[in-house]
Amino acid sequence: MIRLVLGVAVVGGAAAVPLVADNYLLRLGTMLAMYAVLAQSWNIIGGYAGYPSFATAAFFGLGAYAGALLQGAGAPMPLAWAFACVVAAAFAALLGSAILHLKGHYFAIASLVVAEVLLEITTSWTSLTGGGMGLNLPILRIPVDAQARLFYWSMLALAVASFVMAWLVARGRIGFALRCIKQNEDAAAMVGIDTTFTKVVAFVLSALFVGGAGAMYASWVFYIEPPDVYAVLTSVKPIVMTLLGGAGTLFGPIIGAVLFLIMEETVWRTFLSVHAAVLGLIIVALIFFLPHGVLGLVKRRRPAAPTAGHGSAGQEPANRGGGA
Amino acid sequence: MTNARTAWVSVPVAVMALGLVSAAGPASAEDTIRVGAPLPLTGPLSPEGLKQQRGYDLWKDTVNAAGGITAGGVTYQVEIVYVDYESNTPRAVQTAERLIAEDGVNFLFSPFGSGAAKAASSVSERYGIPTIAATASSEAVYDQGYQFLFGTFTPNSTLTDPLTRIVTDSGEGVASVAIYARNDLFPLAIAREMEKSAEARGLEVVSFDEYAIGTLDHGSALTLLRLSQPDWVFATGYINDLILIRRQMSDLGIQPKVLTMIAGPAYREFIEAGGDLAENIASAAWWHPAVSYDGQDIFGTTANYVAAFQDKYDALPDYAEASASAAGVILQLAIEAADSIDPQAVRDALAAMQATTFYGEVEFGETGQIVSLEPPVFQIQDGEAKTVYPPAIQQTDMRYGGIK
Amino acid sequence: MKGSPLAQGVGHRAGRASLTRPLCGHPLPEGEGSDAASNRSFLVLPGPTPMLYAQILLNGLLLGGLYACIAVGFSLVWGVLNVINILHGSFVVLGSYIAYFAHVHWGLHPFLSIFLSGGVLFVVGYAVQRGVINRVIAAPVLTTLVLTFGLDLIVNNGMLLAFTADYRTVRLEHPLGSQIIGGLVVPLDRLAAMGLAVALTVLLFFTLARSKIGRAIVAVRMDAQAAALMGVDVPRIYAVTFGIGALMAGAAGSLLSLVFPISPLNGTEFLGIAFVVCVLGGLGSISGAIVGGFALGAIQSFGALWIGPEHGLTIAFALLLLLLVVKPTGIMGRKGYE
Repeated sequence: MIRLVLGVAVVGGAAAVPLVADNYLLRLGTMLAMYAVLAQSWNIIGGYAGYPSFATAAFFGLGAYAGALLQGAGAPMPLAWAFACVVAAAFAALLGSAILHLKGHYFAIASLVVAEVLLEITTSWTSLTGGGMGLNLPILRIPVDAQARLFYWSMLALAVASFVMAWLVARGRIGFALRCIKQNEDAAAMVGIDTTFTKVVAFVLSALFVGGAGAMYASWVFYIEPPDVYAVLTSVKPIVMTLLGGAGTLFGPIIGAVLFLIMEETVWRTFLSVHAAVLGLIIVALIFFLPHGVLGLVKRRRPAAPTAGHGSAGQEPANRGGGA
Repeated sequence: MTNARTAWVSVPVAVMALGLVSAAGPASAEDTIRVGAPLPLTGPLSPEGLKQQRGYDLWKDTVNAAGGITAGGVTYQVEIVYVDYESNTPRAVQTAERLIAEDGVNFLFSPFGSGAAKAASSVSERYGIPTIAATASSEAVYDQGYQFLFGTFTPNSTLTDPLTRIVTDSGEGVASVAIYARNDLFPLAIAREMEKSAEARGLEVVSFDEYAIGTLDHGSALTLLRLSQPDWVFATGYINDLILIRRQMSDLGIQPKVLTMIAGPAYREFIEAGGDLAENIASAAWWHPAVSYDGQDIFGTTANYVAAFQDKYDALPDYAEASASAAGVILQLAIEAADSIDPQAVRDALAAMQATTFYGEVEFGETGQIVSLEPPVFQIQDGEAKTVYPPAIQQTDMRYGGIK
Repeated sequence: MKGSPLAQGVGHRAGRASLTRPLCGHPLPEGEGSDAASNRSFLVLPGPTPMLYAQILLNGLLLGGLYACIAVGFSLVWGVLNVINILHGSFVVLGSYIAYFAHVHWGLHPFLSIFLSGGVLFVVGYAVQRGVINRVIAAPVLTTLVLTFGLDLIVNNGMLLAFTADYRTVRLEHPLGSQIIGGLVVPLDRLAAMGLAVALTVLLFFTLARSKIGRAIVAVRMDAQAAALMGVDVPRIYAVTFGIGALMAGAAGSLLSLVFPISPLNGTEFLGIAFVVCVLGGLGSISGAIVGGFALGAIQSFGALWIGPEHGLTIAFALLLLLLVVKPTGIMGRKGYE
């Protein structure tokens, strides 16, 4: 109950930010919400199921183009966003059935290459996508402030939706099944978990809102081009955020997204030409000093987490003696 | 559920921290004109970003050394706020909004190239901030009906038309052209203009092929191109693409009568990297150090500008650097004409401008794109880009053949 | 969306042009005069089709040898350490820069500077593995992947600051030029670079097969724990292997400096090549890298011929994905995957 009240308070507080913030802060807020969507979504396949997916950029770009094309054809924005969710999810279902039998590096590469293939296809399919010339979206004829608020609230709503989804997954049967798969896939199959189906569902869930975020993003910036929406960094950032916060936990991705955005913004502002290197240093430091994320740090002070729920889900079996 | 509780605590803390970060932007002084310049200082476009920065800096330092800009009885110093957008277009859009909303810049110089300039112009348009694009030529950038966007490059056809005319009028029997273009906004747009120019002058376009960004091998495309034996090869892309294409052409023994590459040959880096292979490449650009104007701007004559640039950077300016300086000069003239730094007044002054600068005549058309320039055609001869057109500044005659 | 009808038109046109050109095969576009034709120094190709295919195949093989050399070190590290080394592309570029500066300052031919760049990169690789990567070598796939990604950001940014992104080229005093052999145009410098690349790769193969350290590496690859029990210093073998991977990258970089413009930005392209070659050929095996390299070169070349130059990369990546789905061990792979 307390948690629910707190939750409502936080969401309400976040929704009230436009009352005090200027447009640039709102832009950062929108970015933050977008990052949270991406990280939360990745966490389902990467954190809970332990599959190192680099397909986020593929879903994001696909969603961006699906939404942009539909909007270009005259559809209203919300419809385009919903359509993008469906497209990304359907694509993930197909792709997942094809590549989820791969493990480890092979899965990582296959998922990475998907974005690359989509990038090339989008670039060459000039008649549909405009190719390298990019694609323009209809400009919204509403005031600047209203626009900033509209996209902030929309992205925030998407972030809340993805949080609720993650919450349902984490406490539902599917979350349990995913954690079993992560611990030992063969054993999970033996105890009667339909591993293939579970993994595909997880993959679809990890794509659903990412596609929507892509479409929302396209509407937000008015102009998209293939190298930007299919950027490898779009796949890598959610992973770093989730690791930063704590993989396989409910709040890890959000905390990670917040911290990451703050770091990114600070580093970017402070260092004109070495921000990539500083980001690299942060990543390296993160791997060495915070291997289980911020939440891992908190937990380490207490002995083993008692509940199976959030307790040991983030850790690799190799690093934990008796997690489950 | 300790972890849950900590999580709830960290969110507001982080949000507060975020607020602090954003509030820490520098305060703007009363007597300073702040111009925002999102540049690709890292990433694939960083060489271009650094060029623009050199051009802007030269203008800013010259203005400030001369006392600043006077408008409405106040003398302003110029400050350029640079932000790196990592050669990433969405980042450029975000940067533009940050510069306007956060850093409170009065004016904006567009990010590099047609794509990013187009994307970022939607932001400055919404805020009503006069914006000058120093490196965007494609007409698609300007056809959105925007009021606050101005560009210092004439449309792509002003490059391909004179080039085609010179080649077809030469009597060298150039009858066919093969076009090979990078699938990217500007390279593709100018390749399509070339196709139109060629067809208008009765040239046969024997092939029109595109290659993907990041292509590491042009062997197959060039082997096919060789089959059709074009008299003229017209390749577009950026320096790395063009050097690679040039090398592979030489490997495969493709020796057309005329070889044109855009955009790259105007840069000294291209000539240095290309060496012998750069010889006799014909190209066109929006500006060349040989042009000669007696401007009313802070640099005065073109020769003065070139000398100032050489003083500062020990090199000849190329068209991208000059265009960046010209963007500053044009902004300054508009502020002085408006006698105010009010965005709307400066915008109107820009739209009404009819001035001569070191860069050339400056007059913007309906769409905001400059219409008054006559871009020079040049050819690389003996390791230098020498002008062959227009007649007033011609340094040499166009050579045909000699492509190794 | 305003431009799309236009775009469509040009797209069709381009597609048709590429497809029909090799078939129609009239050598001159216009019967405009024989003097014009004689002025040209073009080769008049006999029957376009067979010669064309031969030329395209040759192009593909020349490219493939270089690809193999780019990928072999990456493949070795992946196979032995189970680490996907995102740094590999930057290592190749670093090798190219060493070749470039050695050529500019000492006039050293890139074919000779492979020893220099290989040696320097070996030390760098050894140190990076010993000092950084080895600390998390037992961690899951994702950790090492993200770690090397972070390291790559640092190295790449460093190169950008040190060398700028300006493209540089090694311009030989006496290039070998091209030779026409049996109607085929053979670029000799490229041929030599490719030959050296393959020679280096074969040398590595024999080193692994014959030398003591090579056998230790193979043993660790088969079963690290068993090797440790047999008295093999596994961390040292890991570091040496990573060093050899970097060495091959550096040597490849030297050779590539003759072919590609040099810039820190090329690192990602090379890394992509390494990925594809590795999966095509099967990871961890030297022969796999060679087969994968040549396969990729040929696929790219013929793909560009049949489907259009802008699709060369798409085809390679799509094929890679397909191969991953149906036969993840690659063309030459035998070992299980994981």
